[in-house]
Amino acid sequence: MGIADVIIAALLVGGACYILYATLWKKKGCCGCEGGSCCKK
Amino acid sequence: MSTQLKRKEELEGEVMAGSVAERVITVAVAGNPNSGKSTLINAIAGTRLHVGNWAGVTVEKKEALFDFGGRKIRLVDLPGTYSLSPYSQEEIVARDYLVHQRPDLIVNVVDATNLERNLYLTVQIMELGIPVVMALNIYDEAQAKGYRIDDKGIEQMLGIAVVPTSATKRSGLDELLETVLRVADAPNQRVPKKLNYGEDIEVAAEYLAKSFRTSHPALLERYPQRWLLLKLMEQDSRVMDELNLQNLDFLDPALHHLRRAHGEDIESIMADARYSLASGLTREVLHKPELRQTELTEKIDKIVLNRFLGIPIFMAAMWLLFKFTFDLSAPFGAWLGAMTEGPFKRWASALLTPLGAPDWTVSLVNDGVIAGVGSVIVFVPVIFAMMFFITFLEGSGYMARAAFVMDRTMHAIGLHGKSFIPMLLGFGCNVPGIYATRTLENPKDKVLTALLVPLMSCGARLPVYVVFVSAFFPNNSSTVIWSLYVMGILLAVLMGLIFKKTLFRGEAPMFIMELPPYRMPSMHSLCVHTWEKGKHFLYKAGTYIFAVSVLVWFLLNLPWGVEHKRDSYLGQAGAVVAPVFQPIGFGTWEAASSLISGVIAKEIVVGTMGEIYAPKKDEKKEVPTLQEDLKEIGVSFGAACSKAVKTLLYLPVPEEKEEDRSSLKLALQGVFTPLSSYAFMVFVLLYMPCVVAIAAMRQEFGTWKWAVVGLGYQTALAWCAALIVYQGGRLLGLGG
Repeated sequence: MGIADVIIAALLVGGACYILYATLWKKKGCCGCEGGSCCKK
Repeated sequence: MSTQLKRKEELEGEVMAGSVAERVITVAVAGNPNSGKSTLINAIAGTRLHVGNWAGVTVEKKEALFDFGGRKIRLVDLPGTYSLSPYSQEEIVARDYLVHQRPDLIVNVVDATNLERNLYLTVQIMELGIPVVMALNIYDEAQAKGYRIDDKGIEQMLGIAVVPTSATKRSGLDELLETVLRVADAPNQRVPKKLNYGEDIEVAAEYLAKSFRTSHPALLERYPQRWLLLKLMEQDSRVMDELNLQNLDFLDPALHHLRRAHGEDIESIMADARYSLASGLTREVLHKPELRQTELTEKIDKIVLNRFLGIPIFMAAMWLLFKFTFDLSAPFGAWLGAMTEGPFKRWASALLTPLGAPDWTVSLVNDGVIAGVGSVIVFVPVIFAMMFFITFLEGSGYMARAAFVMDRTMHAIGLHGKSFIPMLLGFGCNVPGIYATRTLENPKDKVLTALLVPLMSCGARLPVYVVFVSAFFPNNSSTVIWSLYVMGILLAVLMGLIFKKTLFRGEAPMFIMELPPYRMPSMHSLCVHTWEKGKHFLYKAGTYIFAVSVLVWFLLNLPWGVEHKRDSYLGQAGAVVAPVFQPIGFGTWEAASSLISGVIAKEIVVGTMGEIYAPKKDEKKEVPTLQEDLKEIGVSFGAACSKAVKTLLYLPVPEEKEEDRSSLKLALQGVFTPLSSYAFMVFVLLYMPCVVAIAAMRQEFGTWKWAVVGLGYQTALAWCAALIVYQGGRLLGLGG
């Protein structure tokens, strides 16, 4: 595994972690409510 | 809706600063639960607010901003309430908004088929002194029943504008908005009449007004005078606390006469006065046919609400729901499964390889993203089909009956039927079910119900069930899944009983629940709400299931170059936890790893298994061309449609060929037995709620305490229940 592979892998893992952070933590996940009102609470 | 309403001369003199046309007219929409408020707003503004055919769905106010006749109108959908007394969260939200925000006018949505009860709220709304336009909704049904309503009579008696509407048929909406603009532009001409509450109350109010004008003139500027005086007479604790009016020395003399004449309970005297007005007004304006035939709703209710048949019918309805769901969706799920395992992976390889992508990235896309996300996407047809049938039951009015028939059972655990509504919502997704507990009045009820909601099997668990039943119980799939849903309900009853005897002692309060008439939901409404319920599964697949699939792939392939997945980081973590699951039938690192990742969202259990059991690439197999792939996709889709129709119509369906079975299904058949697979499904049903549900509990109750209690008791319950199923099954000779 070359340095380029390591960089790509790190970027991918970082991106996946960011998506988890953004959707689960920052946006508190998708509540599944219909009007979205519970998410805005 | 483009009628130009205002005449030029009407506008003159009203234009003060800025243009009248630019002013946003704020219109609060208030009404009883199930009076069609949300449907009315949807029909007017095209927003997609939740429209459920039971009481208490709209918990918070929601807004819609739109143009009509060149003017901007903001509709604010207040929670459905029967009164403006501060007993429930909905009533508090609605009342606080009307009193503190002072909208330009109120559209009071009144169910024309249930006039008297709805007018009780109207009478209270009129106390606020804000211009009111009454939307006499569901007018078509009232006419169909032979009711004749004198809307002009209501206008004269109450001094408010009245417009007959039918939100579902979109009739009367233009007239309603025209009236709204007319009233908003000339509010002084449409002040609601001051209704006479009887001599005793009026004399007391007059005395109180005189004293209050001297002692608290500023408050009378800020709050509607009549409303404030009536609340003082009722000794409304919320108002008195908020305005610091606990020690008014002139209050007792004002109420002295009332108490002597009617007794201590002034609140009841006021309620009687309002009911008398609503009742008298109804007698004046409503003419019902003398001989009313027993209506269809009553006929159906005699059977559906029968004390002995009610619960069996509910169980049968649930079973039918699953039967239709799987008959309709299973062929499409299999079709999508074949797509993800075949053409999608081939196309991804064909796209990435010429771009010079390293082999591991091709594996990441195929064995990580497509295997992980694809394993979940396969179940989109099942989820949407189930949401469609649940929406149908809600819209038809049956779900409200389900809560009603469960009332007695719920009383056994110290709750009432109203608590069953959040639980029913939990069948779609536990998170809105937890938020819906705020419709309950008692704080203990709220927490207890929220702790029980995650035992309701949400749609996210469905992919796990489907993959296991199709592998181990192909001929009884709907019955097996139905048994899991029923188990969730029964365990909720059991846990409720235990909690009520330990953490939440107290009597179950009485409640009045509206039973709306049965209605055939429109296809448009069914589709909109099915989409609203189901879309977040697609959102999840595109966001955190995708992200977890990528991370799981890395965890399955690190340390780099690992030969066997068992030796990967995920495999090692799974192997550490696996012995815990040994007594309950699935002590493998694969099952343990899937359950660990499934904490984020239950569908991820299947996604992770999809990655763990992803088949090795078969180099020898002939690769079809793009044209062959596209042809196969079309042909197999046609076959799926045909199979769905045949299954629904009970026509013979050809047996599934061995090579048509998905690799995940075949892999599971090699690892699990029917008994251990059932124990696994029981564990997935019950073990800790997903992280979003835990966050919702934390958010709703402002403490981690109840989220931690839920997490702990559910995981322990899951392990015990799976142990009983697995070891009990072995003792009964049902396999190992």
